[in-house]
Amino acid sequence: MSIKLGFKKSSIAFTALLLSIGMTAQAGVVYDYIKNNNELMIATDANWAPFSYINDAGEMEGFDVDVGREIAKRMGVEARFITPDWGVITAGNWNMRWDVSVGSMTPTEGRSKVLNFPAVYYYTPAAFAVHTDSPVTTLAGLNGKNICTTASSTWEMYLEGSLDMLNAPAFTYKVTPGTITALADGHTCLDDTRLGAGVRNDGIIDSVPMIQGAIEDGYPIKFLGDPAFYEPLSVATDKGNSDAELDAEIARIILEMQKDYTLTSLSMKWFKNADGSSNDYTVAY
Amino acid sequence: MFVDTVVEDKALHKPAFLFGLSIAVLAIFFTFNFTNTIFGEFLSPVIGNPEKSGFFGRLAVSFVLTILFVANLLLISFARLKIQILIVWIELFLLFLAFAYSFDLEIAYIFSGQPSKIGLMISKGLFTTIYISAVSILIATAIAIVGAIAKLSNNGFAYAIASFYTSLFRGLPLLLQIYLIYMGLPQLGFMIDAIPSGIAALSLCYGAYMTEIFRAGIQSIPKGQWEASRALGFPFGLILRKIILPQSIPLIIPPTGNQFIAMLKDSSLVSVLGIWEIMFLAKKLGAKDFNHLEMLLTAAMIYWLLTIILEMIQARIERKYQQKT
Repeated sequence: MSIKLGFKKSSIAFTALLLSIGMTAQAGVVYDYIKNNNELMIATDANWAPFSYINDAGEMEGFDVDVGREIAKRMGVEARFITPDWGVITAGNWNMRWDVSVGSMTPTEGRSKVLNFPAVYYYTPAAFAVHTDSPVTTLAGLNGKNICTTASSTWEMYLEGSLDMLNAPAFTYKVTPGTITALADGHTCLDDTRLGAGVRNDGIIDSVPMIQGAIEDGYPIKFLGDPAFYEPLSVATDKGNSDAELDAEIARIILEMQKDYTLTSLSMKWFKNADGSSNDYTVAY
Repeated sequence: MFVDTVVEDKALHKPAFLFGLSIAVLAIFFTFNFTNTIFGEFLSPVIGNPEKSGFFGRLAVSFVLTILFVANLLLISFARLKIQILIVWIELFLLFLAFAYSFDLEIAYIFSGQPSKIGLMISKGLFTTIYISAVSILIATAIAIVGAIAKLSNNGFAYAIASFYTSLFRGLPLLLQIYLIYMGLPQLGFMIDAIPSGIAALSLCYGAYMTEIFRAGIQSIPKGQWEASRALGFPFGLILRKIILPQSIPLIIPPTGNQFIAMLKDSSLVSVLGIWEIMFLAKKLGAKDFNHLEMLLTAAMIYWLLTIILEMIQARIERKYQQKT
């Protein structure tokens, strides 16, 4: 909880604004600020276990949170988390309220207009799921049906057939829904599905670990077919305050974390299957 | 209560009304069919298996329910007024609890963990909610006083600015104002964090509503009082402070109290900025283990309790001013 007005940041943002009137922000402004302030401000939506959520002690926890802490550690600064709505993060123009987003964001054409994506750190599969009583048994069976998902997510873009991911593994559109129910909070889709097959939706699309968690929690849903696509997930920085030095530093750290298997071990720690085995999502399939 | 000297007989004690009510209640219970609920099971010695009891079972269950309901009303009607109000409150509250309980929720989840979920919401969220609302209320009140005076003045600029302000901030949804202030102001080079943005949006929005309340309160004092005060040679400020405001405040207080209560609840909208207040924690704590409704109900209870406290304070202040006038 921060009650400060952020005058220091406001003056820097103001300088950056003045500079940006010329053309681009001066390289290193944001990175120098992080170093001087000894604090990396990381934005992540706290709505997504096991990626990023509030644990029983009331603190941030999850795969993204661990990756964020590690990045800060390797920069030699403290990590501080801030939890705005997903839509506020993807809208860009952060004005140095926070420095980076380590929140499993998929690089897309649209988002790259306002955000930079310095480094992809892992890939998650997205899959369809239906109620256990659903008559639908194949992905083709979902054609023309009502599918629910999170608004302004890559899953919604997939349903619309407009998924413009950058540097992503190849994929095909396997389902053409009749209706797309896009909700601000994707969790509501799961609760809707629980009401029964075809009551509020015929199926959902979401990330595999998320659906896995719901199944383990006793939701009457099951996976339908193989994962629809694998999405690369990246650290994001603000294009409005572009800082090449910060981007380069993040890219270097992520590469280092891949090489010394830190990312792999974090993935194995957080992404477990029902049978207890772990998933390494840090390599593209 | 109406301050009326003629009190009519209780409607419940008139046989015709009682009969009509019973028929209506019976029809409602019959339509909604309570046969397959706990009531049907309870009556199974009479009607047999609730599932197979058919028309007779359905009628019997609705009949018993109707008798219980009407008898309950009759019994309450003989009690004293204060007892009546208390009993009806308790019964409605129990009904609400039964309603929430029937969702088939994992109520224990709310108290699980160390510290418990509800403990986290109170220790982390309650303070933030109260802090944001209280600061916003203070600022909104200050804005409203200035705004009302400006709207009543003959100064064209003051009137134009104040009326533009009330029109704009009453005309935009609060959620939109929150986004505009949070994302828009930094574009002008003025960076404010999430909590100050939330407070600014709440104060400006409620300041606009309260400006109108204050203006109406001041305007309701007859013109003659101004004229009389002027005739006695009082200056403007003195008239406002000593003559007009003391009379308009009793009129202003009830709607202002409503605004305070509404503000407390609308502070939940700032959760979109990632401020850890009650609504934010309810949404995020529930998301982790997929127990959304449990945590939302907890938040509902906390908000309700807070507004009940505010309502009590409001009633007390109202009573104080009623005695004075």
